[in-house]
Amino acid sequence: MSLARIKEVPLVLLLRFREHHSRALATVLTTAVIAYVGWKIVQSPEQALQFAFNGLPVGAVYALLALGFTLVYSTVWFFDLYYGAAAALGAYGVFYLRSQDFLGGRYDVNNHFVNIVFAAVVAGVVAWALHENFHSRLRSRFHPNLPLALGVLLSGAVGIYVWLVLANPSQLNAMLSPLIGVMVMAAAAWVLHRAWRRLSLTTSLAPILAIAPAAALGAYCGFLVATTPESSLYLSWGVSCVLAGAVSLALYRGLYVYMRLRAKSPLIMLVASLGILLAITAIITIVFRAAPRPLPDAFGSDVWTVAGANIKAFNVFAIGVALAGFAGLLLLLKKTAFGTAVRAIGDDEEVSKVVGINTTVVIAVVFFIGAVFAALAGILSGHDTAIQPRMGLLLLLKGWIASVIGGIGNLHGAIIGGFALGMIEQFGIWDLAGEWKDVISFVVLIIFLSFWPQGLLPRR
Amino acid sequence: MALSTQAIGKLVRRTRDLRQRPRFARGNIELWANLIILSWSAAFMLWQGVGFAIQVSTFFAIWAILAVSLNLVVGYTGLLSVGHIGFFGIGAYAMAILSSDASYEQLRTEAIPTFGWPFFAALPVSVVLAGLVAVVVGIAFNRFRDDIYVLVSFGFAVIAFNIFLNWRALTRGAFGIHEIARPEIGGWTVNGTFEYLILVLVFLAIVVLISWFIVTSSFGRVLTAIREDEQAIEVFGYQTAHYKLAIWVISAMMAGLAGALFASKTSFIDPNSFVLLESILLVSIVILGGLATIWGSLLGAMAFVMLEEGMRFVPFLPAEHIGQARQVVLGILLVVLMLFRPQGLVGKFRL
Amino acid sequence: MSTKLDPRTFALETKAISKHFGAVKAVDQLSMSIFSEWITCVVGPNGSGKSTLINLLSGMLPIDEGIVVIDTVGIRVLKAHETPDHGITRTFQEVRLFDQITVWDNIMVGLTERRLFPSLLERTKPRHQERAEEILRSVGMWEKRDAMAGDLSYGQRKLLEIGRVMALDVKIYLFDEPFAGLFPRMLERVKDILKEMRRQKRTVIFVSHNMDIVRELSDHIFVLDSGTLLAVGEVDEVLGRSTVIDAYLGH
Repeated sequence: MSLARIKEVPLVLLLRFREHHSRALATVLTTAVIAYVGWKIVQSPEQALQFAFNGLPVGAVYALLALGFTLVYSTVWFFDLYYGAAAALGAYGVFYLRSQDFLGGRYDVNNHFVNIVFAAVVAGVVAWALHENFHSRLRSRFHPNLPLALGVLLSGAVGIYVWLVLANPSQLNAMLSPLIGVMVMAAAAWVLHRAWRRLSLTTSLAPILAIAPAAALGAYCGFLVATTPESSLYLSWGVSCVLAGAVSLALYRGLYVYMRLRAKSPLIMLVASLGILLAITAIITIVFRAAPRPLPDAFGSDVWTVAGANIKAFNVFAIGVALAGFAGLLLLLKKTAFGTAVRAIGDDEEVSKVVGINTTVVIAVVFFIGAVFAALAGILSGHDTAIQPRMGLLLLLKGWIASVIGGIGNLHGAIIGGFALGMIEQFGIWDLAGEWKDVISFVVLIIFLSFWPQGLLPRR
Repeated sequence: MALSTQAIGKLVRRTRDLRQRPRFARGNIELWANLIILSWSAAFMLWQGVGFAIQVSTFFAIWAILAVSLNLVVGYTGLLSVGHIGFFGIGAYAMAILSSDASYEQLRTEAIPTFGWPFFAALPVSVVLAGLVAVVVGIAFNRFRDDIYVLVSFGFAVIAFNIFLNWRALTRGAFGIHEIARPEIGGWTVNGTFEYLILVLVFLAIVVLISWFIVTSSFGRVLTAIREDEQAIEVFGYQTAHYKLAIWVISAMMAGLAGALFASKTSFIDPNSFVLLESILLVSIVILGGLATIWGSLLGAMAFVMLEEGMRFVPFLPAEHIGQARQVVLGILLVVLMLFRPQGLVGKFRL
Repeated sequence: MSTKLDPRTFALETKAISKHFGAVKAVDQLSMSIFSEWITCVVGPNGSGKSTLINLLSGMLPIDEGIVVIDTVGIRVLKAHETPDHGITRTFQEVRLFDQITVWDNIMVGLTERRLFPSLLERTKPRHQERAEEILRSVGMWEKRDAMAGDLSYGQRKLLEIGRVMALDVKIYLFDEPFAGLFPRMLERVKDILKEMRRQKRTVIFVSHNMDIVRELSDHIFVLDSGTLLAVGEVDEVLGRSTVIDAYLGH
């Protein structure tokens, strides 16, 4: 049997051209971009350096967002849009705690009603967490009412403490100093304990020897914090991050766990988290108004000049935070048992459960960490520009884009993608007005998805 | 309406059969959703009077056109597009630029091109323009799926909004465009709110009819199959890319129509009507009402409009927070729906 | 059975087709000729490239090298949506139905207009309904026609998938493991369907691990091993060859 004819590839359609020649097109595009940037740099190297200096801190914010986003996505495999709200929560947390202090209290939003509601919610969550984790275990050992009473007392105390902190934002450092002291003490005791173990010294004095210096250190730190009012701002960062993380954790534990059991597609989770984002954004708008607000000046508003280009010290700090966050996350994932568990869950959650990993706890911690990253990003970008309730959605989208550009589910990709997106935005608006930034990043996203759907660094 | 009469018929049949009682009580969310939303809206409108009813119904009709058009894409084809407001905006701006009065524009410092066309000349052009943009966007988006589709459609909404806001030579940015023409039929201008309502309802009816025609045809069946398994349907000889593009363009043209009607109704537009958030609200309407049913979209739009109006009567809620409060309610509703009823109130497709 | 050796035309030929996944050659320079109007079976150990072959022939994966010849026309690029025009359709190893539409609509999808604009104007036609009813009765799903495809049991889903490709009036049917995981009663039904297809002068290619069924149904058999052709011929003779037995036992 012989061939009558060979049907050739039809010479039609741009679509097919894209499929067959996407590599060629991609190369052309890349060369064009490199040529453009190169030409710009040659044209005015100083200005190029300035653009780079503008782009790096923005990139740092995107990188932080992308890191948290990627961490969560590669563990549970759905896009949790709450991250936008976490960024906004972080920024507005700082604003809420510091609004009395700057600009003569012009934007003071401290509100008794909000304080009480918030403290009550915290107390309720603590009570619920205690009940979930300890009640059944303790009930059998002691009188059934004892754990109940203790739980009520404890959650009540936490609630009152939270209320005190919120109600006295001007003395934030004083209010938080006991907590700082206790935390430092615990950390020091833990370190000493580890050192003790390693030296394998066994004396009956060990506990005292460990606790005494730890307590002293804790007390000193607490005192230090209580006597430096400038520390309030940085304390408020910590509080906000913890707040955003805690909300994320509560969302996971209280909602996503059940939802994931039923959900057939990641879209269900995506839409649900979109609903959460909507609700939280609206609540923030109700409490803080829709208009943009500034955050108080952090340290380092002074400007450094490097080779004719200016950069704020705070921006250098932001870049440092992003790099440190990346390094910390990498260490956590690669060196600790927790990291191994996270990666195992990302590979196969069912199997991880079977081999004895407590997936719920591990994922909850992942959600906490992710939201802390988002909150940090929100705070840093808030200090850099201004905050407004809908910043969350935009930051979320930028983080999402950065993680897609870098390669979804890859930490290295996330940080590279974040910085790349920041630089692309800045160099993109060289010849355009600054307001086209968002358009540029989305155009870049669509180009990337068309030609490099796996991103710069595909996941293994 | 056909669906609701069916539902009422079902109710009668089921109440006759006493053995079915327990199942009926548990499983008839659809019926209850219909009953509650319809009776609530009717009661509300009757209570508030004619003027209110006309205003609310006009907004309902515009939202309903949008929701029905988006349901073709989200519910029937399974592409969760969050960018539909872009086409709405394109339709609105096309109508605004084509039909706004040139004499008014000359008073302003920043002149933008205006044409002063009559409404019925500008309308088809706006619709076609939205369709043309949709062709380009659709070709670029055709290869994406699921969550990446959500992301790029977010992108479309952001890009569209930024163009409305920042292309000042065409749209006059944040200042907006004034004096958009009112519809005129044979020398008689549709100016009264009631006449306008009739006009919008006629267009809604046309859109619903077209959508109904599409989803009951073989084409509609192929769309649902694409939603379920795109690769498997290709084996049956359907070029899915073309089908997706076609429904995307049709849907975008309907959204463009809604935009043109909206611009003409308000006779003034600015970019704030086309922000990303509105788009998310639109998606919530579609999901709330029910995926893959036209009736569901109408119901969702009605519930949405009624929710906003109902918020006015909540005690201790200041007027400036109504929009936000509605957003909170919608957000929580989305979460609850995703937990217990991923197909929406009367939907046929679980996400 | 001597009639089987009659010279016949080929329904489908592959000429040195290859498919690589990275360094792995899933299908390597494979040339085979499928007799028309016969039931041809493709067997081979796991990972021998059977499913990849089906995917290549149905256009689900692009062919890296080589051509496919159908009706004396050589085709370099086989697109999935063009396969019915070439007279090919397939089922999937893991059943892929349209879960959230009814059984009836699952069948109708194979019957209705494939071109874009005509399909927009087409409503359900009586001849489509008659054909759909015929198919549903022959796979025993008529009573279930209004159920959602996703609510069916595994066996029913498998049958429905076979019914769905029957709706498509083509010359060559590719079945990827049509017998896997079926109860004996359903197994008989699928066998009958395949035999009926042979009677209607269709060409059937199927992949199976069940040697009894292979022996019973096949007119012709291809044995694959790591992407290459190990043996071709009449069933009993080929399955008796020592090389084939070795490949299956993993030597």
